[in-house]
Amino acid sequence: MTPEERAAPGPYQPGSEADFERLYRNTYRRILGTLITLVRDRATAEDCAQETYERAFRHWRSWRPEASVEAWLHRIAINVAISDRRHQSLRQAGEVVRRLGRPAPGPDPSAMAERSDLLRAMKKLPTKQAAALVLRHYHGYSNREIAAALGIPEQTVASRLAAARKQLQAVLGR
Amino acid sequence: MSDLERELESELHRVLDPVAAMPIPPRRTPIGRTRMRTLVGGAGAVLSVKLLTGVAVAAAAVTVAGAATTGSVNPVDWGQQVSQHVADCKDKLTDGQHGIGDCVSSFESQHGAAAVASGARPSVKGGGSSNAHGNNSNANGHAKDKSKDHPLPPKTGPTARPIEPEPSDPPNHPTVTIPPQR
Repeated sequence: MTPEERAAPGPYQPGSEADFERLYRNTYRRILGTLITLVRDRATAEDCAQETYERAFRHWRSWRPEASVEAWLHRIAINVAISDRRHQSLRQAGEVVRRLGRPAPGPDPSAMAERSDLLRAMKKLPTKQAAALVLRHYHGYSNREIAAALGIPEQTVASRLAAARKQLQAVLGR
Repeated sequence: MSDLERELESELHRVLDPVAAMPIPPRRTPIGRTRMRTLVGGAGAVLSVKLLTGVAVAAAAVTVAGAATTGSVNPVDWGQQVSQHVADCKDKLTDGQHGIGDCVSSFESQHGAAAVASGARPSVKGGGSSNAHGNNSNANGHAKDKSKDHPLPPKTGPTARPIEPEPSDPPNHPTVTIPPQR
């Protein structure tokens, strides 16, 4: 159970709009934090976070209270990020065609400020590997909790983490 | 814990902890977006365009047919002309004669030819239902609108049939004797 869930005044009632609003307030920042490491910039992460809560709200009635609500939200958020990366690949191809013969635009200073080599390297990882890293090393989930959140075996989580670390070392040259 | 993992954790906290201080924006409501998508895009838009096109085509067809029949683009004139002619036909009826079908048909055949030519009317009846003897009486001498005895020609869609001349008997046509019914 996350600190936000422990601090909540009571359990969430599936289907209750007031409880969903409370859930949104309690979990938004952590979901946004995960998404910032998975998608290209903060604006996209904010858009993906809203998309995550829209999808969650559509299935809010069928959510089972015995499952971790934040793990459920993370699962949705990771799927949203995977969809966004697919669309981003298509958008980039279109941009390349449009910009043929023109100079590329300069870097956005506000986006550069929050970037680091490590974060850039994480964004190049497969989304599921990057998600396993951020759940483990930022949110402090155990391998078992990550497995429950993503609906995969624990062994798969361990192998994803190992592959992600190996690729990070290769990208960072360490 | 390896050096990489320690660096990973500290870097993630350095970048993501400021996010925790950010104000939480209001939640985006999905209802408005879904309705707008339905109305503005996708199948909703296609259906709306088709409906509007159908209404416009139907209105244009009615206008063309009415204008061709009456010579006026004002729909009020169309109704008035037809009503006037029906009243005239009733006035022309002699005692013991019933039905104004022939009279109205002749009006339609005169004024509807233009509409047929323009393709606005799918079919037009021929020049009335009078028989060769020039009256509407049957064998028993009762006046009757013969158009009820003849089945209407089948409608074959928007292609109008050419108007054929009325059949006429030769001058030495023998008198037909109808045997009594059992």
